[in-house]
Amino acid sequence: MSVSGQPAVRLSGVRYGQSHFQLGPLDLEVPAGFVTAIVGPNSSGKSTTFRLMLDLMKPDEGSIEVLGTRIGSGKRTELLRRIGYLPEEPYRHDSALRGADKAEFYRYWYPDWDDPYYQDLIRLFEVNPSLRLGSMSKGMRRKFDLALTLAHRPELLLLDEPSSGLDPIAWRTMIDILHRYMESGERTILIATHVVEEVKRLADYIVFMVNGRVLGMFEKDETLTSWHQYYFMGSGEQWLGALSGMPGLAALGETGGIVRAVTSSAREAEAWLAARGLEPAGRNAMELDEILAVLVEREKTVGLQGTKGVRT
Amino acid sequence: MWRSIRLNAYSAEPLYHQIEVQLRALIVSGRLDEGAMLPSIREMAQHLNCSVITIRRVYQDLEAEGLIVTRQGTGTFVAKVDPEKRSRHRLESVAAAMREAIEAGRRVQCSDDELRALFEQALREGKENRPLPGEGGPAENEKGDAE
Repeated sequence: MSVSGQPAVRLSGVRYGQSHFQLGPLDLEVPAGFVTAIVGPNSSGKSTTFRLMLDLMKPDEGSIEVLGTRIGSGKRTELLRRIGYLPEEPYRHDSALRGADKAEFYRYWYPDWDDPYYQDLIRLFEVNPSLRLGSMSKGMRRKFDLALTLAHRPELLLLDEPSSGLDPIAWRTMIDILHRYMESGERTILIATHVVEEVKRLADYIVFMVNGRVLGMFEKDETLTSWHQYYFMGSGEQWLGALSGMPGLAALGETGGIVRAVTSSAREAEAWLAARGLEPAGRNAMELDEILAVLVEREKTVGLQGTKGVRT
Repeated sequence: MWRSIRLNAYSAEPLYHQIEVQLRALIVSGRLDEGAMLPSIREMAQHLNCSVITIRRVYQDLEAEGLIVTRQGTGTFVAKVDPEKRSRHRLESVAAAMREAIEAGRRVQCSDDELRALFEQALREGKENRPLPGEGGPAENEKGDAE
């Protein structure tokens, strides 16, 4: 689906291990020209994946290619100039610097620094760059860092929880700026986020990541219209068998006299239910966090008993 | 005008299909004038809160039908729809809507007679000077805001 045919980022068989955490093996292609959101619970390996892509950490195994350049091939500076990276936490060592001084530093290091655009961003975000970074509020610091990340108009944006600390107004401004940033059609955003609404507003693709592994990459609109859940009144014995053949069945379970069946193929499931005269007492499209919860649960039980019998 | 497109996020109907049906109807009915510029793919995606993949698909489909044209570097525009094609398209979109209505009926085990009765009833209700649901606002709002 990518515009240029070449993915913006490609991870092949990447593994990274620490005593308490295993990342990978990761195989992932981030399509160029789109917004891809990495969604997953805390400590699922999102930030580590970003750091590996930026050559800030070395993988134990596997290869990483970013914007056509193989990581570790010695062209790090040229590559980093084409990327904008917003880490999850702001850097702490520069809190005595004034915003404007830090911007000066960035201007020096990024040949493509676009000063009028930087000024625009500062104005849109209502940041006061004459403040010292340490005395900015959490939200203002985030907005300032976002402006710095964008001002050299990078081809690839890596945003790690960009909206943490932003108030709703600043959040809307950010969404709008990121949409405009994508307008040319040649840029790519990879965003790690917990915020469901952010994914809905921004993402074209969703990558679910849990416990250091990628559970799959999905087209957002397709996913949100095809994952539905149905509720049936009655006991487990009555329904579980009857529903076990439902197309796209991703979860099936009973709690307190209500049987819930989740499908990832809603259209087929609806036709299947109708053909059998099974009328759900309730049905709805699922939110991203609900889908993630089902995938996490399935990941835990997969291999033990397949998809059947996964509890809700 | 394209701003009147409304999506049902709770439906199992794919978004691209929902958008395509509505945009096609706007063009074929002439409510979007020939030459009217459509928003960029990203802009339309932002407005409808869906992904560029979906909008790209819609534009590609409508372009293949000859209803819109994309000029590299300038944008996407409503094409000239010749009158014969317009009348054919006009009925096509109605026929498609009816097929969907029938499908909705089948899902709740409607018989043919029940469907006919419902159709007649809807027709009578429509005549009682009420605008049909989904047909947008009053006519005076329907021109002028094509972007």
